[in-house]
Order: sequence, then C-alpha cells, then structure tokens
Amino acid sequence: MGIKVHVHQSHVQYTNGERIIEVEGHTVGACLKNIAVKYPEFGKQIFEKQGKLNHLFEIYVNGESAYPKELEKEIKDGDDVYITRLLSGG
Amino acid sequence: MLTKRDRNLYDRQIMIPEIGEKGQERLNQAKVLIAGVGGLGSPTAFYLAAAGIGTIRLVDYDVVDISNLNRQILHWDGDIGREKVDSALEKLSRLNPSINIEPVREKIREDNLSRIVEGCNLIVDAMDNFNVRYLLNRSAVDHQIPLFHGAVRGFEGRAMTILPGQTACLMCMYRGPVPEEKSPVIGVTPAVIGAIQATEVIKFLTGVGQLLTNRILLFDGIDMTFKEFRINRNPHCMHCGNIKGKE
Repeated sequence: MGIKVHVHQSHVQYTNGERIIEVEGHTVGACLKNIAVKYPEFGKQIFEKQGKLNHLFEIYVNGESAYPKELEKEIKDGDDVYITRLLSGG
Repeated sequence: MLTKRDRNLYDRQIMIPEIGEKGQERLNQAKVLIAGVGGLGSPTAFYLAAAGIGTIRLVDYDVVDISNLNRQILHWDGDIGREKVDSALEKLSRLNPSINIEPVREKIREDNLSRIVEGCNLIVDAMDNFNVRYLLNRSAVDHQIPLFHGAVRGFEGRAMTILPGQTACLMCMYRGPVPEEKSPVIGVTPAVIGAIQATEVIKFLTGVGQLLTNRILLFDGIDMTFKEFRINRNPHCMHCGNIKGKE
C-alpha cells in the first residue's frame, strides 16, 4: 500500500488520464518527484525552477493543508495527498 | 420591527426556526458590501436582496460586455455598455424595492477601500483577481469584519469564510503573487459558489449553523463533488498574525 496522490484535473492530460496515482515516498516532495519521473510533463507543471512547488497549486494531506513547507511534509503509506489549484476568477 | 409586508414577503424563510422574525430583523438591519458585480457578485446579490438584506453596497468600476452574459446574470443583453452597478441596481430594486442598494462606481484600491467598506457589517469577495482579494482581506482584518471568499475557474470553485483574528484568512496561506488571467468559466460555477457565499452571509447575520471557517470548500462540477479541507491560521500571517479577534 503506497500513498495516493489525487492529481488536479488540469494535470490529468500529463498523467495519461490518471486522476489517482499510487506512489512511494516519505515526503510529499518525494512522492511528487516520483510521479514526475514517470510523467515528466507533470513535473514541469507542478514544480517551478529550483524544484519549488508551483505557487498556483496547493497540497492537502489527509484533508488538511500542508502549508507552508508542503514538499517537506512527511507522509506514510495509506496517506491521501490532494493537489488543488488556486482559483482567481470571479 | 417587521412590517406586515415584510412578514408576507419573507414568510417562507421566517418559517425556518433558525431564522424566525428575529433573524429576519437582523437581515433587514444588515449592511453588506459586495465587491464585484460579475459572475460571483450576481447570484450573491440576487439571493441577499431576495432574503431582505437591508442595505447592499455594490462596488464595481466596469461596464457590461457581451462576453459577461454567460455568467453574470444580473446583466442582460440590453445592458451591454452600461455601468455594471447601474444594471445591478435596476434589477435588484425591481426584485426587492424594500431594500437599499448603494452603487459605488469605483475601482477598488488601497487608498479608497477603507471609505468604501465604512459602515458595512461584512465584505463579500466576488472579485476576479487576487490583488484586490488581498486588499479586501487586509481591509476585513483592519475593520474586524468577516470576509466571505469565493473564486471560480472552469467547472471548479471554492469558498471560505474568514472571521479576522479568529480564523484563517486569505493571507495565512500566501505563496506569492497570483498573476491576473482571463479565467475560463461556465456560468453554473459562480452560481454554485455565489449561492454558498450568500448562505454563509445569511448564517453569519442570523447567527445560525457552522460557518465555513478554518476550512475551504472545493466544488468540482466535472466530477460533481464537494471536498472540504482544513486550513490553519498562520501565527506569522502578514495580515492577521498580530491581532486577536473579538471574543
């Protein structure tokens, strides 16, 4: 049993249509990097230069915000990671 | 005091035990600022006007464009080229002539917001960009009045209620400036989120239920799901980190 990463709708085009990706890793950052290895285009979207999290996206782990050090957030098998997008329209 | 007309007009909501005559009086006495009379501002204003909010102050500097009409339901084909606040004033006054509508034709800026907010019990965030949202957030903190946040993109929307000094604010999760963009959107999305914002305003004013505080509600119209995530207040927040709210 790994960690379930719920990919944002706008990223599904980069993950071969997968919305939920099961992955290994001890931190959120490690999990996202592992997904980026399999889906490099996803990595380009989710990470900014220097490997920072794209600031238009938010991370929630087990229903709670992982802010402010999202990528360093420690996680374990069975955890749920949600990627959401900051919305600005009105 | 409610008039006989009020009792008839608001009969169905006065029947709700959580509202009753006392709650209706609170709605009638309230003064609400709706920042933005577009996709989110339209349904929010319609429902708050219908619910009998005593005074609704609308602020928007824009004029109605044909591309607004797929979602900004306060504005109709014949309103193209008209000031949005004038168009909104006309519709809302026709819907409920017993309330006051105060149109403010100004672009929200740091140096005029305090004047615009003055006298209002709360702010509804119906803006289309984060630059102004952060100004509204700051103003809500300064005035110690609630901010009812909403935002949309495509089939997605989100809503959160902020009680400054007590619950997480928009700046508590600040991660850098958000570039302005022309967001794709279908009208039903701001309809859903605007209705949620209006619900929160009514609940706050009547003092009923659990507000959407310290949690954000995400609507996904594609999957037709609502998800809720916990948000934590940031003690180092640039806006609310140093203040204590009203007990």
